[in-house]
Amino acid sequence: MKKSWIGKMATIALTATLFAGCGSNAGTSNEGTGSTGGNSTDKPAATEQAKKNNGKLTVYIGFQEDHAMKAIELFTKETGIQAEMIRMSAGEILAKVRAEKDNPQASVWYGGPADTFVQAVEEDLLEPYVSPIAAKIDAKYKDPNGYWTGVYVGAVGIASNKEFLEKNNLEAPKTWNDLLNPKLKGEIVMASPASSGTAYTAIYSILKVFGDEEKGFDYLKQLHPQVQQYTTSGSAPGRMVGLGEAGIGILFAHDIIKYQEEGYDNLVLTFPEDGTGYETGSIGIIKNSKNQDLAQAFIDWALGTSAQELGKTVGSFQNVTNPEAVGPEQAVDMSQINLIDYDVADAGSQRQRIIDKWNAEVNK
Amino acid sequence: MSAMFKRFKREPLLPILIVLVSLCLIVFIVFPLFQIFKASFIMNDGQIGMDGYKRVLSGGGLSRSLTNSLVLATISATLSTIIAYMFAYTFAYVKIPFKKLFNAIAILPVISPPFVIALSAMLLLGKQGLITKHLFGFENANIYGLHGLVLVQTLSFFPIAFLTLSGLLRSISPSLEEASQNMGAGKWKTFISVTLPLSVPGIANAFLLVFVQSLADFGNPMTIGGNYSTVAREIYLQAVGSYNMQAGAALAMLLLTITIIVYILQNFWVGKKSYVTVTGKPTGQRRMIESGAVKNLLFAACMIITVVVIAFYALVPVGSFIKLWGINNSFTLDHYKYVFNLGQKAVFDTLKLAVVATPIAGLLGMIFAYLIVRTKFRGKKTLEAVSMLSIAVPGTVIGIGYILAFNKAPLALTGTGIIIVAAFVVRALPVGIRSGVTALQQIDPSIEEAATNLGAGRAKVFSSIVLPLIKSAFFNGLVNSFVKSMTAMSAVIFLISAKYNLITASIMAQVENGRIGVASAYCTLLIIIMAFALVLLNTLVKWLSGTNRRTYYGKDS
Repeated sequence: MKKSWIGKMATIALTATLFAGCGSNAGTSNEGTGSTGGNSTDKPAATEQAKKNNGKLTVYIGFQEDHAMKAIELFTKETGIQAEMIRMSAGEILAKVRAEKDNPQASVWYGGPADTFVQAVEEDLLEPYVSPIAAKIDAKYKDPNGYWTGVYVGAVGIASNKEFLEKNNLEAPKTWNDLLNPKLKGEIVMASPASSGTAYTAIYSILKVFGDEEKGFDYLKQLHPQVQQYTTSGSAPGRMVGLGEAGIGILFAHDIIKYQEEGYDNLVLTFPEDGTGYETGSIGIIKNSKNQDLAQAFIDWALGTSAQELGKTVGSFQNVTNPEAVGPEQAVDMSQINLIDYDVADAGSQRQRIIDKWNAEVNK
Repeated sequence: MSAMFKRFKREPLLPILIVLVSLCLIVFIVFPLFQIFKASFIMNDGQIGMDGYKRVLSGGGLSRSLTNSLVLATISATLSTIIAYMFAYTFAYVKIPFKKLFNAIAILPVISPPFVIALSAMLLLGKQGLITKHLFGFENANIYGLHGLVLVQTLSFFPIAFLTLSGLLRSISPSLEEASQNMGAGKWKTFISVTLPLSVPGIANAFLLVFVQSLADFGNPMTIGGNYSTVAREIYLQAVGSYNMQAGAALAMLLLTITIIVYILQNFWVGKKSYVTVTGKPTGQRRMIESGAVKNLLFAACMIITVVVIAFYALVPVGSFIKLWGINNSFTLDHYKYVFNLGQKAVFDTLKLAVVATPIAGLLGMIFAYLIVRTKFRGKKTLEAVSMLSIAVPGTVIGIGYILAFNKAPLALTGTGIIIVAAFVVRALPVGIRSGVTALQQIDPSIEEAATNLGAGRAKVFSSIVLPLIKSAFFNGLVNSFVKSMTAMSAVIFLISAKYNLITASIMAQVENGRIGVASAYCTLLIIIMAFALVLLNTLVKWLSGTNRRTYYGKDS
């Protein structure tokens, strides 16, 4: 025996290190460049200048995984700028950006509802940038000071399970009050506003639709016994309704469409005719981060047509904000639904108060 | 002073080791937790205040989540410990067929990626569940809530308890039981008055481990908690969903306090007794129970649990080949195409970091255990308690604490692999330490004293006496740290970077988006990798200690 234990341990440690070393080489070697592309129609000066700058851009992305990866690939292909990304949910991105405040690790925050960006602006975490392309975008989809700019829009809709409707002889809900039908008791799923931007958007919209807050809260209290479960994730209700675990779900229309496209063909999408709200998926630059010029180039690209048209190829069915881009054909025609005036700034600043009130009075 | 110096001269390694180990703990556990402590007093606008604690203690959802968690943890820990003890006892004392299979099944849930059991529970026992609806025809089965969580947590966590208990039961010296029987005690009496009391430290350790893991569990409550909110989920929701770091941090501090109290109680209760059974004196091999009602009963119980575990696991690989579970049940390879095209990097990154973390955590765990059980120095109790802290707080807290602590010089580690490895090690350490401590507490110090008398230094004693004797605990520590690293989620979700992405983050993203097929494919791949690694580790440990194994504690494999 003698020194065998130690010797063998050392051998293993060494092997492990070698293995790890090899691994990391393999990991970095496949970052091929590819500045051959560049078929973007919008190519402002920022891009040209940034290309000369040989930095590498880090982006936090709130899209789903494949969309995020494809976006970075396409960006590098079209602009020649090296970029890498980390995918997280919007709330996680905000938490990370906040924690990294003194030494930001990423320059761009791409995707996630504007309310999270409003919160970030309040905490002084973002850097304003008005992209030349932002001029094309409707004023309600962007921050006047350029802290955030909308890249997509999605309305709150209602998902129903076709078999459930048939079995109970019901029509798909057409107003918020339809959801109070006694037959729907324990059949509705929505996310909890405390965890999900989707649910907060829905609840804020309901308060606006009912005109004043008290009436809105009366409605939410009546809705509460109808609700089977408040999920953590905003899009989970779509899957639950698709699988028949619940009859009706409240979530973003583009998520419902996504589930339909994935094969849940028993899902029916309707919109409340008395009005519904929407989210503005946004992009912004993180304050005090490196490579601000590259970040600006990224924003210019994200607002352009090729980036906006990427979504539909990877199963993201939101409406695009750049009027020149062709959105997904499955997407909802926003002019056909009754949209409320969704005041992002107000929604953001009321958020904690409304959620607290909802917790205290509704979800007791 | 001179006495200390003399001691230092005799054993120069020990104080150095203690200092190093303490330093590790301070940097990677105390400092980040202190950052969270600080954050619990800082409001969103940068002012200092008690708002976070006020919110938590004012009643309502946040304080409800605290009681919920305690109820859940108590039930899950009790059930897990009972099941684990039964399994471990059967292995060590009963001669039954399929032992290898049972053993594999008992550790299977350990190598489970987060979400797997929860997802399967939904598919098996949900409203459209295979068992509930299609087998029994229930219309309104509801898996969401406390009962679902108890089921899922018990299945996920009993293996941890099993690993702690199995080594211990195997190493109980048969001679004690034989003595009891020779003196006329029946088997039952022997079990109650010899075997059971001897396994008390193991039971307490197992219970404590499951208890804190249940408190800190994040993936299961996220998936099937329903309206039953628990602390770990609530912390995540406060920090991530409500953008309220302060309330999340305050909640984390309260949870930490509770865990510390539980730990102190456990220590008070078990810590003082001596449980030495491995004495170095030759002992015979245990006579196994070969027939009788006990055997049949235990065999049946193991069988049932095995079937349940298999049912929960079979769904995952099956699900990974199915287009859309419950809707379109046709065969597809699309999910694997996705995983191999887009998920490759995450798989390799995770594997690489886990391979680095595993030996570090395994060795460190044994060193800690040795220091705790076999040495005396001031502050030992504190050291021991601190080493357990990392398991007592939900991963989200560790993750955020790590960013806060390691984002600036002199320890600017964010974005590196080191920070993830550190998180892996710190999260895996407590289980390694516990199983090491349990094993060491049973070994008579006189064996080591004998070696010392023969002129061996402490390092020598550790490497050639202690390590071989606690080999199975060491193996458990290695397995645990590898598996923990591969499946860590909540702790590392904030630590991933463009350079190091992790497979669990990908799984979580897929689950969030409802792509169960892709999530299942990721999980299947992960399970295969871990099962392979387990076999490899087992072989390695055997090879390492193969030739120099003594006969101190009979047959041990």
